[in-house]
Formats: sequence, structure tokens, C-alpha cells
Amino acid sequence: MTGQDKFLDQVTALLPALRAFGRSLCGDPARADDLVQDTVLKAWTNRDQFQSGSNLKAWLFTILRNCYYSELRHRKFEIEDPEGVCAAQVAIAPDHDAKLHLRDLSRALQHLPVDQREALILVCATGLSYEEAADVCQVAVGTIKSRIARARDRLVELLGDDAAHITGTLPMTGAPTEAADNVSAQRSGAT
Amino acid sequence: MTRSMIMSEKIKLSERPADTALGSAPEHVPEWLSNRLRRMFTDVMDEPVPEEFRALLRQLEEKERGF
Repeated sequence: MTGQDKFLDQVTALLPALRAFGRSLCGDPARADDLVQDTVLKAWTNRDQFQSGSNLKAWLFTILRNCYYSELRHRKFEIEDPEGVCAAQVAIAPDHDAKLHLRDLSRALQHLPVDQREALILVCATGLSYEEAADVCQVAVGTIKSRIARARDRLVELLGDDAAHITGTLPMTGAPTEAADNVSAQRSGAT
Repeated sequence: MTRSMIMSEKIKLSERPADTALGSAPEHVPEWLSNRLRRMFTDVMDEPVPEEFRALLRQLEEKERGF
């Protein structure tokens, strides 16, 4: 009994992280808590498969993201997908038209393809290593890194130029900035 | 150094993603973004866990013990 109690204690201690991971992934608090409930039940049912001493947090995150993917597949199927497209390709409301100027990070994350979103969250928010994130997503470390790079580029675009200007993430060389263009245009207009 | 060499070097630099131009790894996430991601995460972690979860875990424990 002690072993099982310990397992439950550890799961209990990880509930806040699971809720945060679920919410970052799906962007909806109620839906996230449903995912966490499913995760806890699945973890309990399959607790024999968990190897004591290994990373319980990564194991639970794996279960949660699998629950999320399976939910996405069901939703997609209900809407329009009789052939079952790989959930990794499902992007919520893709918008390639223009910058959305989304100040809200949580909303901006929902504009990323889910595979990029989870890679970025796992490494940058949950504190998992690249290797652990790769295990959770069942892909190579290099894949995680390239997904993070694409997610970062898209978020910088979505969250607006202000942050990029402030932190100097715009190219330091090459074309002059739009602001500099405006200034020089005004000057040449004045003379 | 010829003018054409300088030009081609400039083009190469301007084509690089912003962060690699600053000498970081291609997957490097700028600090302002990783800070915001962490804050979004810890904000949820700091919330009290709803009672329904603790109730669920108690249920599982009792079921296992045959109550």
C-alpha cells in the first residue's frame, strides 16, 4: 500500500504543473481540467507501467498530451476529417494574412500548430530538458529544436514588434528599420 | 576587401534569423518570450487546485483499499 500511496502523493504534488501544462496547451481552463482528470485516471490505471525512480512529471505530461491529441482527433473527425489527418498537422485558426498583434500570449499560442506549441511550452515553460521534451513528444531532439525555432518566429510576429524592438531581436545589420525609413522620408520631405 | 565581398557579407547577415545574427543557437528563445511563457505557466501553478481533483485522488485510493 505504501508504494501506491506514494504514487498518489506524487501525482497530487504534480497537479498544479499538470493543470498549467493542460491550460497552456489548449488555452481553456475548463477543458484543461478535464484533460488533467483524464490524465490522472489513465495514470492510475497504468501505474504498473511507470518505472519507479524515472521522471513522473514527464510521464504524466506524456499521458496528458496524448489525451489532448486524441481529443483533437475526435474534434477534427466530427467536423470534417473522415480520413483522419495527423493531429500534428492540426493548427487552430491558422492566419497567414497579417500580424494579429496579439498581446495575450495564451491566445497567440493557440495560433501555432499544436506540435510547435507543445515543444515551446515543454522546454520554455515547464522546465523540461530538450531530451525530456523529445521523449514526451516521441520525436528526435533536433525536431524539438526546429519546432521551437518556428514557434518562436511565429510568436514574435504575432506578439508584435514592440517586444522585438525593446529586446533587440531584430536584425542588427542589413535593411534599415521601418522607423528609420520614416524619419529619413520626413527629413527629405522637409528639405 | 572588394565592394562586392562586403555586399555579399551584408546580405548573408541580413538573411540570418534575428537570434543567430546575435550569435545564439537557432532554437534560442529570447528572454522576454521565455519569461512570459514561464510566467503564464507559474500563474496557473500558483492557483489553488480545485477540490474535485483531491476528491478524485481520494476516491482512487479508497477504491484500491476496497472501501
